[in-house]
Amino acid sequence: MGVVHGEEMVLNIGPQHPSTHGVLRLKVKTDGEIISEITPVIGYLHRCFEKHCENVTYDQVIPYTDRCDYLAAMANNFGYVVAVEELMELKVPEKVEYIRVIMAEFQRIASHLLALGVYGLDIGAFTPFLFMLRDRERILDMFEMTCGARLLYNYMWVGGVSHDLPKGFVETAFQFLDYFEPQIEEYNNLLTHNKIFVERTADIGVLPPEVAISYGVSGPNLRASGVQWDLRRNSPYSIYDKFEFDVPVGDGGKGTLGDCWDRYYVRMLEVRESVKILRQALAQMPKDGDVHQALPKKIRPPKGSIYSRTETPRGDLGFYIESDGSPIPSRVKMRSPAFTALAVLGELAGGWMMSDVISILGSLDIVLGEIDR
Amino acid sequence: MAKYFRDIWESVSTMMTGMGITWMHMVRIKKNNVTLQYPEEKWPRPERNIGFDHGNYNVIRSRLHVDIDDCIGCLKCERICPVQCIKIETEKAPVRGEDIQDIGHIGVTSNSSRKALVVTRFDIDMTECCYCNLCTYPCPEECIYMTGGPNAHKHPIDYEFSEFDRSDLIYRFAKPGTKEGMEKMLNEDGAES
Amino acid sequence: MTVDQLFNWLNTLVPAMENSGLLLVVAILIPCLALFLVVAVNAIVMVYAERKVSAFMQDRMGPMGQGVGLHAGKWGLLQTVADALKLLTKEDIIPEKADKFLFILAPFVIFIGAFVAIIAVPFGETVIVADFNIGIFYILAMGSLGVIGLILAGWSSNNKWSLYGGMRSAAQIVSYEIPAGLSLIVVIMLTETLSMQGIIQYQEGGMFNWIIFSNPFAFVAFFIYFISVVAETNRTPFDIPEAESELVGGFHTEYSGMRWSFFFLSEYANMLVVSAVGAAGFLGGWHSPIPGYFDSNGWGVFWMLSKIVFLIFVMMWFRWTFPRLRVDQLMNICWKVFLPISLINIFGVGFWTLIFG
Repeated sequence: MGVVHGEEMVLNIGPQHPSTHGVLRLKVKTDGEIISEITPVIGYLHRCFEKHCENVTYDQVIPYTDRCDYLAAMANNFGYVVAVEELMELKVPEKVEYIRVIMAEFQRIASHLLALGVYGLDIGAFTPFLFMLRDRERILDMFEMTCGARLLYNYMWVGGVSHDLPKGFVETAFQFLDYFEPQIEEYNNLLTHNKIFVERTADIGVLPPEVAISYGVSGPNLRASGVQWDLRRNSPYSIYDKFEFDVPVGDGGKGTLGDCWDRYYVRMLEVRESVKILRQALAQMPKDGDVHQALPKKIRPPKGSIYSRTETPRGDLGFYIESDGSPIPSRVKMRSPAFTALAVLGELAGGWMMSDVISILGSLDIVLGEIDR
Repeated sequence: MAKYFRDIWESVSTMMTGMGITWMHMVRIKKNNVTLQYPEEKWPRPERNIGFDHGNYNVIRSRLHVDIDDCIGCLKCERICPVQCIKIETEKAPVRGEDIQDIGHIGVTSNSSRKALVVTRFDIDMTECCYCNLCTYPCPEECIYMTGGPNAHKHPIDYEFSEFDRSDLIYRFAKPGTKEGMEKMLNEDGAES
Repeated sequence: MTVDQLFNWLNTLVPAMENSGLLLVVAILIPCLALFLVVAVNAIVMVYAERKVSAFMQDRMGPMGQGVGLHAGKWGLLQTVADALKLLTKEDIIPEKADKFLFILAPFVIFIGAFVAIIAVPFGETVIVADFNIGIFYILAMGSLGVIGLILAGWSSNNKWSLYGGMRSAAQIVSYEIPAGLSLIVVIMLTETLSMQGIIQYQEGGMFNWIIFSNPFAFVAFFIYFISVVAETNRTPFDIPEAESELVGGFHTEYSGMRWSFFFLSEYANMLVVSAVGAAGFLGGWHSPIPGYFDSNGWGVFWMLSKIVFLIFVMMWFRWTFPRLRVDQLMNICWKVFLPISLINIFGVGFWTLIFG
């Protein structure tokens, strides 16, 4: 039976659309329900982050990094301060390292929970979304207890963190983890293994490992394609070499390797691994120690440049910082993982249906704040 | 054919599992409820908190507040602010560390440092504030802080400060009339000499 | 309470105008008014129930308040009233490039489809507006009138999203009419009548005389019927015509205010109608589950309403648990699963009645 080709229609998904995860515009060529070409148009959230950084001091950049990936602000803080510390050759106390890892892993859980929940919402399931937000809320409560903010923390400073962990944090964290682990099973029963959800996501938007690597995709999106690449394991920064954890990769459990379901499920598995790291870190953390001990009086890195990268919930976040010896950076460049993830969308989405495009876009877990910077 | 029936069975069983979960949540709503009936119940949640005390918070990012009597006009907060939402103007005090009755200026802070400057203008534009909390750290007198939490004894928490007019969100902490009073005083001094 | 009875009653009440056309019109208008009230009250109650059910399933409390005058009344009981007031006072926007006549017409077509069907719905032994001898056929026919409205709405809005929604709904509703209709044929074969009251009277004598339990094929037919009508009323997991995460709002993207609320009203009216048909056709209608007990006229209305409410609750339960299907999967399920099974059902019931009946 031949396929009837009608006239192609250009459809603009966004900038105001419920499931573009921000202000993204997708120019889509459609033939009925089938998509033939898809072009992302970005820049609606451009706030001149990089140019801005050239006008403020090193410590004033940190609140701006919060606002790049606003769903994983701790991870962005972490990436930036690690870069500056490397540039200054600063050694931070062990307690600070532990606190940072704990915060970053909690942030990873929070970010993944939102990503998974919103993905469910894209597919049309409302209830899992609210369940996941309910648990994310408790993580945010813990962040609030520590640094006062729920979303944009400005918590990690060059050479330390802004506050020590508050009284009762470790107990609360363990309490939360005990509560949270059974919840993962509930999410799986409610959404992950639901037949409709599997039908909507398995075999859809297959990203082969070669394509993923050639586009520079990183993080869970790359691991879902079966490539074992995690900066926490492959080039450990901070104290990640002290913990035992697995790097979950996609295995095509419900369909093909690298499909939307894999990308979803790898995130679910990573949440479990983060819980594992958190349990170790909370148990090993030194009880005393001053978190402000290594704070430099004046942040004035020597002349030179650095490229340092860390693993955020979205992947490989790189900071290139060039210093001319003054307290103001002469260039800050951010390599954002969500940008490469969006770049691969055009490769993935051609030939699928309208509903699948939303599903593929959701599975890439992009954050427009980070793409447009 | 076997796959056909297996698919049907899988669909039915997984969906029944999901429906069971939502059913259990529905009948246990009294125990599971996590929401707050906002205007009546306010944060922090009294009985459903997550296991720590409000007083244990390190800080709470709410509205910025300045105890102007303690401010020595050192401009540290103005300089550190990444978005330049703090505007401070100072005038040299005639005598260091002495009260000026006319404009309600108090010469010595509660940390007993003697002020050399009179703060004639201290505006914080809360529409621009990015709640990064950077301004509160360098303050030598700890007079600029975010309300509530550990600072609750200084100022109760205030996170409900929406206004109908945008200009009402510019908080002017300097005592009204300070600027005019200072100008008048300086002019009088100039006229006398 | 058929129109005939009303007409006779009015004739005896006003002997001067005996058999005049005016009395006939009055006799027709009275039940219409009552039906409109039923639809409106149904929508208000259902919206409240939907909010509460969804909230409870998601660990929330839903609309709450602290008494009349504050927020939304005790337990948020006045929330739907407030919603209705808000919708009534909202600005009515008609897009400039829309086909104005069709744009205005569409919500009414949908609403009329749902509204007219209720005429033949029996709420009790005597509580029915008109017991047609082709009742079930009539309801099916009127129920599918709504699809014209959906296509009109999608087309006339002059919006690509609306067009998608309209086209999807046309495909979906037309397809799902077939398994739903074939499942009802099982009922018709067993009862040998098309009249709604006749179908219900067949199921007299306790819950094991209900058609759903009469034989295994009818049991399967009930589930196929129920899932098909969920699809027909555009509820999740089959809500692809409105699919808010894909098509923004589908066919009602461009509608606002009262016009939009007509779509809403008719969605809930449709749910009422299909649940009533399900309750009457498979679950014994206004018969009590235990023969001889609670079997009076008033209890009849109670049983019918509770069966309808149960089915509507299950629809809400579906909606707040499941993700949404894709349009081609929807068609697959319809043509590859439901249609063959319902055809087998018809044969099965035929043989069953031949052998055991």
